[in-house]
Amino acid sequence: MSKRRLDELDQKIVEVLAEDARTSNRKIAAELGVTEGTVRGRIKRMEDEGQIRITAVTNIDHLRNPTLAYIWIEVDSAAEVKAVAQALADTPQIGFVAVTLGRFDILAITLVQNNGQLADFLNTKVSVIPGVRRTECSLGVTFVKHDYRMSKILG
Amino acid sequence: MKDAVAERIPMHSLQMDEADHKLVSLLRQDGRMPFKTLAEKTGLTENTVRSRLRRLEEQDLLRVVAVTDFEAAGFSLMLAVGVQVEGRSAAEVAADLANFPEVFSVCQVVGSHDIECLMVAEDQEAVSQLITQRLAAVPGVRRLLPAMAIDVLKNQPNWVLFDKSRTAEGKDA
Repeated sequence: MSKRRLDELDQKIVEVLAEDARTSNRKIAAELGVTEGTVRGRIKRMEDEGQIRITAVTNIDHLRNPTLAYIWIEVDSAAEVKAVAQALADTPQIGFVAVTLGRFDILAITLVQNNGQLADFLNTKVSVIPGVRRTECSLGVTFVKHDYRMSKILG
Repeated sequence: MKDAVAERIPMHSLQMDEADHKLVSLLRQDGRMPFKTLAEKTGLTENTVRSRLRRLEEQDLLRVVAVTDFEAAGFSLMLAVGVQVEGRSAAEVAADLANFPEVFSVCQVVGSHDIECLMVAEDQEAVSQLITQRLAAVPGVRRLLPAMAIDVLKNQPNWVLFDKSRTAEGKDA
């Protein structure tokens, strides 16, 4: 299912909202030379169609030793991939889940504080999911970039 | 009340109390929730809500932002690419990779690869260009091992890098 692409005005509004989404419609309207109603309507449409999501993000630098764990998962049989991915997505501690082609069947990403926590997480939350055959992890050392403006908006 | 992805990780100091966590959690659901509603749902006064949010923003702890769906931004494909580095420090290579606007996430890691990247591309031709030419040309890149995301089931950008994330420009157009 492909989503409608943002047009030029949508993009200009999103640029403002990507910096501070609590900027008033009135201010955005004045800045862009359109009516407040247009801004309100555009934002509503973009949210309704799942093109944008307005949300709070928090600064990872305020956590103590946050370590990204990329968990790559191989599934027992191809028919089970979807169910395993869904079980991972239902695990609250996991922030990202994608079914992939290539390296492994599934990539799941979580945050841990150290190796011990990762091992515990794998043993109690991942390996216990029926269909998980093998996992391989990349453990973050330095988080260099994450452009939070880019995401997959679901639902 | 702290979100589940980060629940096991303590913060540097007591910068957020329960009420702060509650506010953040409400704003994660709806970033444009009016101050009045936030006040009703937390039992705080509207003024307290305003001043708490201002404090969290001033401490560079919180931002309320618009996140764009990559498809709506014109990219139909997402890839997770492992990078093996040779003859150069992984930190330097990671910094170079971070300069590509389509590469929206870069982390230096330990494991079978030295760097994990997440990236988007417009189509198959763009993937080919990006991986086999542009990324492959970065000095120190030995091997690129891509996985194409065919179904993203979850993507919660809750705890993120702040300043560096604003360096990406251009490709959203």
